Amino acid sequence: MAKAKKKAGDINSSSMADIAFLLLIFFLVTTTMDVDTGMKRTLPPWIDPTEQQNDVDVNERNVLKVNVSRSGAIMVGTEEYRSSDLRRSGEHSRLSREVYFFLVDPERSNKKATEIDGATYNVSEGLVSLKADDETEYKVYLKVQDELTHAFNLYRDDISRQVYGKAYDELDDIQAGNIRKAVPMKISEAEPNDQTKK
Amino acid sequence: MAVMAKKGKREVPAMSTSSLPDIVFMLLFFFMAATTMREVDPLVSVQMPEAIEITELDKKNLVNIWMGKPLGAAKGEDALKIQLNDQTREVEDIRDFISATTVTKGVGPKDIVVNLRVDEGATVGKLTAVKQELRKAEALNISYAARAAETH
Repeated sequence: MAKAKKKAGDINSSSMADIAFLLLIFFLVTTTMDVDTGMKRTLPPWIDPTEQQNDVDVNERNVLKVNVSRSGAIMVGTEEYRSSDLRRSGEHSRLSREVYFFLVDPERSNKKATEIDGATYNVSEGLVSLKADDETEYKVYLKVQDELTHAFNLYRDDISRQVYGKAYDELDDIQAGNIRKAVPMKISEAEPNDQTKK
Repeated sequence: MAVMAKKGKREVPAMSTSSLPDIVFMLLFFFMAATTMREVDPLVSVQMPEAIEITELDKKNLVNIWMGKPLGAAKGEDALKIQLNDQTREVEDIRDFISATTVTKGVGPKDIVVNLRVDEGATVGKLTAVKQELRKAEALNISYAARAAETH
């Protein structure tokens, strides 16, 4: 009689793998792996064009004008740049080097005593004024932005070495924040004027 | 003796597959942890430009705006379209979209980062129009979405 009390058979688990595979494939299809990457910017607050504006007087000397034409030709100050000048040869491109020198050279942009982490340092007041034609290709525009960012990052690196004695990307969050505050990415874009265009 | 020799030639036992589900489950959990759900289907084709000086963006409070040619558009047609959530919209709709998003996210327009996913063939003029609308909506933190360029 004891023989009648049979042991329950094991459930066949060979299909477990199939189920797991099915789930795996489902997740592979419905999800994305890529991390969002981009170049951060802060727009200036909206100014009502009908309001009386008192333009902020910026010392002309501290401004480097970068104009991008519809064909992708670039004017930096009074000099003409070609698209090949945006390409990096080694660490830098001609444009990023030029902007960096503009920031560093006291002959070209005024230095202002700025307090960083308890001590004062001379930081450039240089500003890049970027103006791109409406018909300019976005690809070219972003490449210019990229090189401008690179120049400012190089300058931040300089200041960071003066203040903390190490590279900007080796700083902790608070230190990097201090540097960012002291050396803002001064890239201003001209207000689009609708009056001149139909 | 002949019988003994035959018996000695044993068959190789079948490989145990009982650990296969474990391996697959491990893979599954890895993918579940490392990936995120695709939220919206693209309606416009966006080939993002390459850039070097880019940073990773925090997914939290990130709002996407797509701009590119509509998918399945005829070859000659090159009108740029703007996609907000899962609809193609006009530039003027951006302000409403931002205010609606801030309400659902429960944050102010200054706390969100608008990620501009713009096709590399788009024009700056169209981008400027979008940026003007964002300024009106007080969403001043933006990012130009870009792919990491391979530095040579």
